[in-house]
Amino acid sequence: MGGGATAGVTQDDVLAVGRAIHAALPTGRGPRHALDDRAMDFAAADAELRAALFRFVDVVPACHSLDDLARHLTGFLGEVGDRPPAIAAAMRLGATRAGRTALGAASAAGVKHMAHRFIVGASVPDATGVLRELWHRGVASSVDLLGEATVTAQEADRYARRCREALQALADAHRDLPPRPHLEADGLGALPRANLSVKVSALTPLLRPEAPELGQRDAAVRLRDLLRTARELGAHLHIDMESFDSREAIAELVIDLLGEPEFADGPSAGVVLQAYLRDSPELCDRFIGCARDVPRRHPLVVRLVKGAYWDHEVVEARQHGWSVPVFEVKAESDRNFEALARRLLEARAAGVALRPAIASHNLRSVAYAVAVTRALGLSDDDLELQVLRGLGDDLQDALAACGLRVRTYCPVGDLVAGMAYLVRRLLENTSNEGFLSAQHEGTALEELLAAP
Amino acid sequence: MTLPPFANEPVLELRRAPARQGLLDALAELDTTLPLRSPAWIGDDRDDGEALTSTDPSDPSRVVALAPCGGADAAGAAVTSAQQGFRAWSATGAAERAAVLLRAAEGMRRRRPALAALCVREAGKPWAEADADVCEAIDFLEFYARGALALERGRPLFQVTGERNTLSYGPRGVVAVIAPWNFPVAIPTGMVAAALATGNTVVLKPAEQAPGCGFALTAVLREAGVPPDALALVQGQGEAGAALVADPRVATIAFTGSGAVGLEILRSAAQLAPGQTQLKRCVIEMGGKNCIIVDGDADLDDAVPAIVRSAFDYAGQKCSAASRILVHEAIADALIERLAGAVEVLQVGAPGAFGSDVGPVIEREAARRVRRYTAQAAAAGRVVASRDELPAAGWYCPPTVVADVAPGTPVLSEEVFGPLLTVERVGSVDEACDRVDALPFALTGGLFSRNPDTVAHVARRSPVGNLYVNRKITAAMVGRQPFGGNRLSGTGTKAGGPDYLMSFVEPRVVTENTVRHGLVV
Repeated sequence: MGGGATAGVTQDDVLAVGRAIHAALPTGRGPRHALDDRAMDFAAADAELRAALFRFVDVVPACHSLDDLARHLTGFLGEVGDRPPAIAAAMRLGATRAGRTALGAASAAGVKHMAHRFIVGASVPDATGVLRELWHRGVASSVDLLGEATVTAQEADRYARRCREALQALADAHRDLPPRPHLEADGLGALPRANLSVKVSALTPLLRPEAPELGQRDAAVRLRDLLRTARELGAHLHIDMESFDSREAIAELVIDLLGEPEFADGPSAGVVLQAYLRDSPELCDRFIGCARDVPRRHPLVVRLVKGAYWDHEVVEARQHGWSVPVFEVKAESDRNFEALARRLLEARAAGVALRPAIASHNLRSVAYAVAVTRALGLSDDDLELQVLRGLGDDLQDALAACGLRVRTYCPVGDLVAGMAYLVRRLLENTSNEGFLSAQHEGTALEELLAAP
Repeated sequence: MTLPPFANEPVLELRRAPARQGLLDALAELDTTLPLRSPAWIGDDRDDGEALTSTDPSDPSRVVALAPCGGADAAGAAVTSAQQGFRAWSATGAAERAAVLLRAAEGMRRRRPALAALCVREAGKPWAEADADVCEAIDFLEFYARGALALERGRPLFQVTGERNTLSYGPRGVVAVIAPWNFPVAIPTGMVAAALATGNTVVLKPAEQAPGCGFALTAVLREAGVPPDALALVQGQGEAGAALVADPRVATIAFTGSGAVGLEILRSAAQLAPGQTQLKRCVIEMGGKNCIIVDGDADLDDAVPAIVRSAFDYAGQKCSAASRILVHEAIADALIERLAGAVEVLQVGAPGAFGSDVGPVIEREAARRVRRYTAQAAAAGRVVASRDELPAAGWYCPPTVVADVAPGTPVLSEEVFGPLLTVERVGSVDEACDRVDALPFALTGGLFSRNPDTVAHVARRSPVGNLYVNRKITAAMVGRQPFGGNRLSGTGTKAGGPDYLMSFVEPRVVTENTVRHGLVV
């Protein structure tokens, strides 16, 4: 009996769910996918090489020619100490102009190929095929629009306009799809098909850590407008959480806006809870209180994630001499994730109008949430699971095969603008502590499912 | 005496509401005590005059501090006092002096919110920077205390049988510290701490715009145990400063301020006065014309916010502030468009309100100068971002970006010290380096590039004292970015660096014959 054996959920329960999901993971993987995985393993094995590749992927959109691409690539690789033969060969190619052209073309193609794995299309209409195919396979989606950072009012307006257009396009794309009952309703009622995730940092250039009200006020104007559009179209609008610098502004903004009488009738909306934050239990309670006390037609969706800005938070805190706001030991984050999942599900079981959405690629975390759901007497439909496109593809298929509701977070945007996002995802994927890399290394299933 | 390793004083985590509230409370409390009496303080004598007043740059009707306006007499009396104190203070060991400085650091730590609030009111400094100003002062005290301990151990020399060689560093005498208003706590504390740590005595003359801060930091040091005759405070304007510089009993002059005054100090200090027995040493930090080079492969998502902060934080009134952008023509239009948009949303307002990005400049004269340069740039270029509406009271200047200013316009080579930024296109990084090289100043510089070869190349070519790559070019940290300029920006000394104390000491070598009648004793 591990640490997960609390109030009715035993380690055996978690193991049973975990084994069932694991058994449903796709086996015979296509050669293309396997090749990507090998490349990832290769990069993950060497920290210097990984850094060089990230820096390269990051700069690709800013390179103005194949020659320029190759010069950057060899510049980064030149800083790698122990060069595998393939890297040494690339460095030799970089010595001549013709070689650089070839190297630039090959590396650009490689980056583009990788980007396709994570980014479903340049625009929502472009991505419609993928989104519809997911639906047909029993998988819901949430679209995230990639783009450059917002530093001006015009950029905030442009992002808001793209979001409006995306909501419209998503509503259109989902209109004539066949019914998928467990994707469209739970015990609390209907679930919108169209689902868009938005970033507050893109909706205002005025997010200031020391003046949260400023960004809140400015973003509210554009976010209100998006909420109205989503309500008219019957779509779900999910407000992402970002770095700790903007946490207060975003939490206050969303809680305030959803409490406005105008939005009592809709749309369906959601927030994000980051389990790696030490103070996340307090925010969790606020969200639960908000779902309980503010009468809205659509229950509040709370997406529980581990958090994607871990390195940023640690570096920033250390540079300033602040206490680190995130758990520094991964197991603490994982334990908190389970505690928060449990808290959200218990609130739901107690009748709070709240929809927990558990977003993790960690089989243990997912199995735990499913086991708790069942132990609380909730139906599987009362739980949503979420994964990232490109990283959680196998898990997504397994969860769908198990009859669980899974929603895949799908980045949309051109490959150039999406590069920063891509690099972040890659960082997560190749982190040695990450679950996926453990899975690749063939860690025993029981170990993967052990309580954190 | 062994101390824990140096660590920078952490700035307040202003993204948390309680930290912000603490500062607002301190400001409200300060406001109930205004105007502050900020007397001159020579030995045990305090002179409580009112001839000099400092006012709040965001509301000039608010008087912040009242001080006397000392002249040559006050300067002379202060030097006499410091000279009398020199023998005793220089005879204390570095350990004792370090202990005093560490107590002063502790005293400042206890008064952090109050001192930050004073910076807000007296210098018009926005909160984050006011807090950082006080932290930097604490850093200087901690850093130089450790440095003095290390310096006291001297340096090893080559030894042969029969002789003993020792190299040690002793204090030089009375140090005149002439401080600026823009870092009204940090910079005077740093210069004073360096001088005291190494056994010198000090006459401090703060900027006439910031007598309140000057008095406050003197009080902290005195309270920590600096003897009355080891640190004298003179309040006054240029006359007092000039008298200190010319005084034959002053051994070292530590100055941070404008180029014109700096050059005048160097000239005056070189003149031997009757009765003078020592060559004056000058530690001079002057202005800059700081450029940021943006190469074609820069990430504008990072570069634009970093440029905006470098140029407009504290309304551009840092000697490290960016004033020229040299951008590769391939991305110039995109950079200008985004930079203009980012500057248009800057919040211009009172420094005491969280969320103000750009406060006022220090005084009426400064506002006039900035407007003059802004008009000059506008006439010779294209204004891409500015502001029509400004707060009614206070010395506010519109944050302005001017692109494509005609080459040779004086605004491209003279220090403005205000919220004005110019943008020029270049065909290559080397062309940008040539333009930087052509400037007489060499204080700070910036580079945005993601190519390691370009970074190495510019680092080799750039003459500036502090080059920042892919980040903002302000906010140097003690111990991490020793700060100071080359060429006409200064004497090349690096505040907060391992060599800084060397400017306050003189080396002495003692060689002792240890052979007596053929026997090594």
